Amino acid sequence: MNRFSWYEAKSVEDALKNANTTLSEELYSPSNEAAFFKSGGIDVLDFLKEGLISPKTIVNVRDIPGMDKIEHEHNEGMTIGANVTLAEIEHHPDVAINFPALQMAVAHAATPQLRNMSTIAGNLAQRTRCWYFRSVDHQCFRKNGDRCFARHSETGQNEGHAIINNGSCVSVHASSIATALLALKASVVIQGGDMKKKVVSIEDFFVSPMQDISRENILGKKDLITEIKVPAPSANTKSFYIKQVARESYDWSLADVAVVAEMKGNTCVDITIALGAAAPTPIRSYEAEKILKGEQLNDMSITKAAEKAMEVARPLSKNGYKIPLFKSIIVRALSELI
Amino acid sequence: MDTKKEKFPHGIPGYNLGEIEREIPAEDPPAWPINDELRVIGKRVPRLDARAKVTGEAKYTSDIQLPGMLYAKMLRANVAHAKILAIDTTLAEKLPGVHAVHLMHEMDDKDHLPMVKFVGQPIAGVAAESLDIAKEAIKLIKVKYDEKPFVIDLEDALDANAPLVYDEPIAEQRDGGDVGVVHDGSKGKGNLRGPSTSSFWGGPRGDVEKGFAEADVVVERTYRTQVHTHVPLETHGVVIDWKPEGMTVYASTQSTKGVRDELATYFDLPKSQVRVICQFMGGGFGAKHSAGTFGPMAATLSKKTGRPVWLMLDRQEEHLAEGNRPNSLHSLKIGAKKDGTLTAIQQKSHGTAGVALGAGVGRIAQILYECPNFTTEQYDVLTHAGPGAAWRAPGNVQGAFGVEQAIDELAEKLKIDPLTLRDKIDKSDVRKVERMRGAEKFGWSKRQPAGSSQGPVKKGMGMAQSTWPRFVHLDSSVEVKLYKDGAVEVRSGVQDIGTGTKTILAQVVAEELGLEVSDVTVRIGDTVFPDGPASGGSVVTGSITPPTRNAAYQVKLKLFDLVAKEWKTEANKLTVKDGMVVHMDDSSRKMTFKDALKSLRTGHISVLASRGDDYGGFQQSWGLAYGDLGSVQFAEVTVDTQTGLIKVDRIVAAHSCARPLNIGQLESQINGGVIQGVSYALYEARVMDKGTGHFINANVDQYKMPYAMEIPEIESILVEEYPAQSSTDAYGIAEPANIATAAAIANAVYNAIGVRIFEIPITPASILNALNKDYE
Amino acid sequence: MKNDKDKSSKNAGKGNLSRRGFLRGAGLTTAGTVMLNSSVLAFESQPATGKAFGPDAVTIEMKVNGELKSLIVEPRTTLATALRDHLGLTGTKVVCDRGACSACTVWLDGRPVNSCMTLALDVGSRPVETIEGLAEGNELHPLQEAFIEHDASQCGYCTPGMIMSAAHLLKTNPNPTLQDVKKATRGNLCRCGTYPHVFKATLAAAKKMK
Repeated sequence: MNRFSWYEAKSVEDALKNANTTLSEELYSPSNEAAFFKSGGIDVLDFLKEGLISPKTIVNVRDIPGMDKIEHEHNEGMTIGANVTLAEIEHHPDVAINFPALQMAVAHAATPQLRNMSTIAGNLAQRTRCWYFRSVDHQCFRKNGDRCFARHSETGQNEGHAIINNGSCVSVHASSIATALLALKASVVIQGGDMKKKVVSIEDFFVSPMQDISRENILGKKDLITEIKVPAPSANTKSFYIKQVARESYDWSLADVAVVAEMKGNTCVDITIALGAAAPTPIRSYEAEKILKGEQLNDMSITKAAEKAMEVARPLSKNGYKIPLFKSIIVRALSELI
Repeated sequence: MDTKKEKFPHGIPGYNLGEIEREIPAEDPPAWPINDELRVIGKRVPRLDARAKVTGEAKYTSDIQLPGMLYAKMLRANVAHAKILAIDTTLAEKLPGVHAVHLMHEMDDKDHLPMVKFVGQPIAGVAAESLDIAKEAIKLIKVKYDEKPFVIDLEDALDANAPLVYDEPIAEQRDGGDVGVVHDGSKGKGNLRGPSTSSFWGGPRGDVEKGFAEADVVVERTYRTQVHTHVPLETHGVVIDWKPEGMTVYASTQSTKGVRDELATYFDLPKSQVRVICQFMGGGFGAKHSAGTFGPMAATLSKKTGRPVWLMLDRQEEHLAEGNRPNSLHSLKIGAKKDGTLTAIQQKSHGTAGVALGAGVGRIAQILYECPNFTTEQYDVLTHAGPGAAWRAPGNVQGAFGVEQAIDELAEKLKIDPLTLRDKIDKSDVRKVERMRGAEKFGWSKRQPAGSSQGPVKKGMGMAQSTWPRFVHLDSSVEVKLYKDGAVEVRSGVQDIGTGTKTILAQVVAEELGLEVSDVTVRIGDTVFPDGPASGGSVVTGSITPPTRNAAYQVKLKLFDLVAKEWKTEANKLTVKDGMVVHMDDSSRKMTFKDALKSLRTGHISVLASRGDDYGGFQQSWGLAYGDLGSVQFAEVTVDTQTGLIKVDRIVAAHSCARPLNIGQLESQINGGVIQGVSYALYEARVMDKGTGHFINANVDQYKMPYAMEIPEIESILVEEYPAQSSTDAYGIAEPANIATAAAIANAVYNAIGVRIFEIPITPASILNALNKDYE
Repeated sequence: MKNDKDKSSKNAGKGNLSRRGFLRGAGLTTAGTVMLNSSVLAFESQPATGKAFGPDAVTIEMKVNGELKSLIVEPRTTLATALRDHLGLTGTKVVCDRGACSACTVWLDGRPVNSCMTLALDVGSRPVETIEGLAEGNELHPLQEAFIEHDASQCGYCTPGMIMSAAHLLKTNPNPTLQDVKKATRGNLCRCGTYPHVFKATLAAAKKMK
């Protein structure tokens, strides 16, 4: 870790005034003057320890007053402060009752220790775990390098990588909580340098590498996440989440799926199906959703939906197994709604 | 040598226990009865150092802080193969807080810049006031490389045009884990070395062609195992304080003696001027026998700065450069007659230990089963990757993964139950008892035919077995000291690497002197004491407990001489019981052990003792593993065929280590061997990029090992066995516990899904790939 | 300011220490000599504006195992390094140095966290409890006793972290099941394979503590 200064921000304005870049920008085009935010600090510390970034200043936003609360309004939904820890979400009774998919996703993230430290904003803003991206010895596209090591058909170690939208960078986004938030149609509230608030849907929050290889989300130089909003589910909504891993104790997702459906009896009135670890960003399978909307949920229809969701998949040299895996967990998650 | 004849318990209680007469050295103690009749041996005795461990008071090498101590860090190559053209340390030397910079190659050959042969090869070291400063300084050292083509893949390295790791023959290399297998680097061409065709158990036998001609069924398969690294929680490292009168070395090591000898040789110092201390060490599993490169580096930095130097590797360095279990590409052909009798075994293997040798598949195929015709060819393949090191039962774990699956496949072809087939071809009594007791505890009779489990989530049962020789070292000694105030002390250089050595030494002395374990102070892990064995090859218990008992026995006789004089009787009329010295003929004549010691003229008396050859001859004269440390493990697994997730639900591990000394500690080690076996079978693997030569999961996050949720229920069965081989008749269990697990799991996975997986780790991807051929 | 420093270690009560009181800028001139930065006053008079510290070492105060400690650390110093190298509390181990093995687990504000992934400056007024603070004087925590009885350490290097995870479970759940124990220790890596005995010891301690 290089020597850096520490700025203890006291308010959002104060924090914005003292930051001049983002972690992602610093990874893509390093400067000697970088000052960016840290909340729980796990991802920032990871990059610091790997020697991938050497900021001049870390702006600590974790102790800014008022950003650590969960508020639930029955008709409006839930507002989760940016600095709320994953553990607080995991154990909040309103989360488990109203948003089971979110609770399940959070409970399966990282370790108990890390859940006590990580904040929801940090979880969404974290960068991919692609081992090439995380290695100081591999200059990949995402670090302004000239290649993607993982996609190489003979040498790429891509077992965990993307099977969908993998035409450029083939990494997958690290947050499995984002999968649940995407299915729940959550949005991110961002305060910019001009002090204007933006509300961005989770879907628009994440940026595909085809759009911009240097970043995974829309956060700009002076953007700070202040809260996450999860809209109230309509009546008769059910949700479920499955994260498939190689190691249950704690692991990054091989494949994860969140389904949120408004049901009328066994008929699906409306549904969202979100997939994690499938593509460089969490994605919705609109095609699969279309198959089920207005239809009875039964073995046949959900199998068809799962098949449809994987039609767009184009596996790399070592991750073809993800196709049957996704099909299985999509079917299992949808079956929970019946 | 004077000898005497003594009767010893012999055999397996509950099966064939009897008595045998042995001619033993005259100064050795008489035989102990079986454990049932002993007070502290064979019982659950809490570890002597457990309190220090649970309170955080235990000081490991990494915890040592000396006045004025500097922190050191090594710079390592980040290319796989290169000639170093220049190294510029100017900026690093100028960094405030840096006290010394030293170049690795200057220790051997000052005039030539070295070749780099793997990512992680050490190049330089820096000593600074804090670890953060040392890390910063390392980044300021500029190395100019002339990069060369490299090869890291086993099969690629065999290609005629593959880049060469060495362009000359290399020396013979013996496995660090004391399995006694020599890998010959002098033969072979290109990156190929070998083959090894025999071990000291004997070479090829019979005529395999004839054997296969006589066979009714033949199984011929190729098995693959991965490279995996030891990941001791405490990394390799030392704290060295070089003083004019000699150096003190705190080392995280499996061999205080070995580190001392290496450093003394390296710096041309008398052994008396290198003191190596290891009071607590955070795991080794075979990789920590040596002073490595970090030892000489830390010593040099300490000498240069005149200050103590702390040099512990970080996690990435540990993965890259401090050992791994080599992989294997292992072909087996086994022939049998209809009744199961084996007619021929033909084995061929290739493996890579990176830039080192030692990638064989052991002796399992050669000695586990009776088979008159046998050949093996075991080749080392050199690659541009970190050197391998001994890892719990070197070679044999890889070997067992193949052999025990092939035997199961043979059983299936012959329509014989796998246990019944082994009853026929395995001549070991101890494994026979283990199969019997294990099968009952496990519920083997409930096992269903392969692939018959219904539904997407399938259950399966499997088993496998193994052998490990009863190795001992005869060069170890122990001092037992009795103080005038009643204190009892055991001293040996042997280290306790977490197996519980400290505690068993106290048990042996307490048993012999009629005392409680808490009456005995154990001082070990320091080369000022008599040399102990290295903790490798499961040799410690067999090598160090007989000298301990011998020393305790002999010092007891010295004490008896003094008491007998006082009581005006014969010394051989005295005995000890419950903390008292007692007259055998008149139990009213007694005094406490403590009071007896008051009669000493000097402050203490002591005896330094060693052990002789095994009673009844060392080991077996011929090949088969009859009198070995046999084990049989049973596994029950659940396989989710839709997600590929495998869970090991249960392992029953039946083991023998001759006379068990400490039941709790033995169970702990069995658990450890099994869990490392589960990890080997299902989770861990070194992942390398063939294009860059880098080990890309060299961390804990992505190098997958099992944690709490992955741990099966483990039931262990200890089969007591009395071979009557030494004054304690006890052996270790570390290696045996790790050999059979992966094969048992692979057999259980086959039983569950009806498809055999020939390569580990068996991951969700491998299950799904095996069951879904259509998506490609 | 001088007074502020003097009262710090002895007079400070448990709950009334503001975060500001813990974080004071200081220019480190030579080892051990601390020049307090005069801008601390400005910091206190304008609560809406923060303050930069470092990159040189600053003096912080940290409540560790019930005692207030004063130490001089750079902003890059982790809590694990502060505990081990600055305070000599080496029971806390660093194994993966990335939050993936939990060997470095301490309680921060009563909750288990990875001290290797926490910067010392980020601790603030939150109390830190380490393995060294678990026993009450000579009397071991029942879980420590159970670890001894059930042989739940082998090499012992994971043990402090394992105990801090499991002891936290016992604090929050007096009736844990085996599954609860596994969930509480799921982030703790042990390479020797002590897990089965850790589970046994934790369940036994829970029984004893009733």
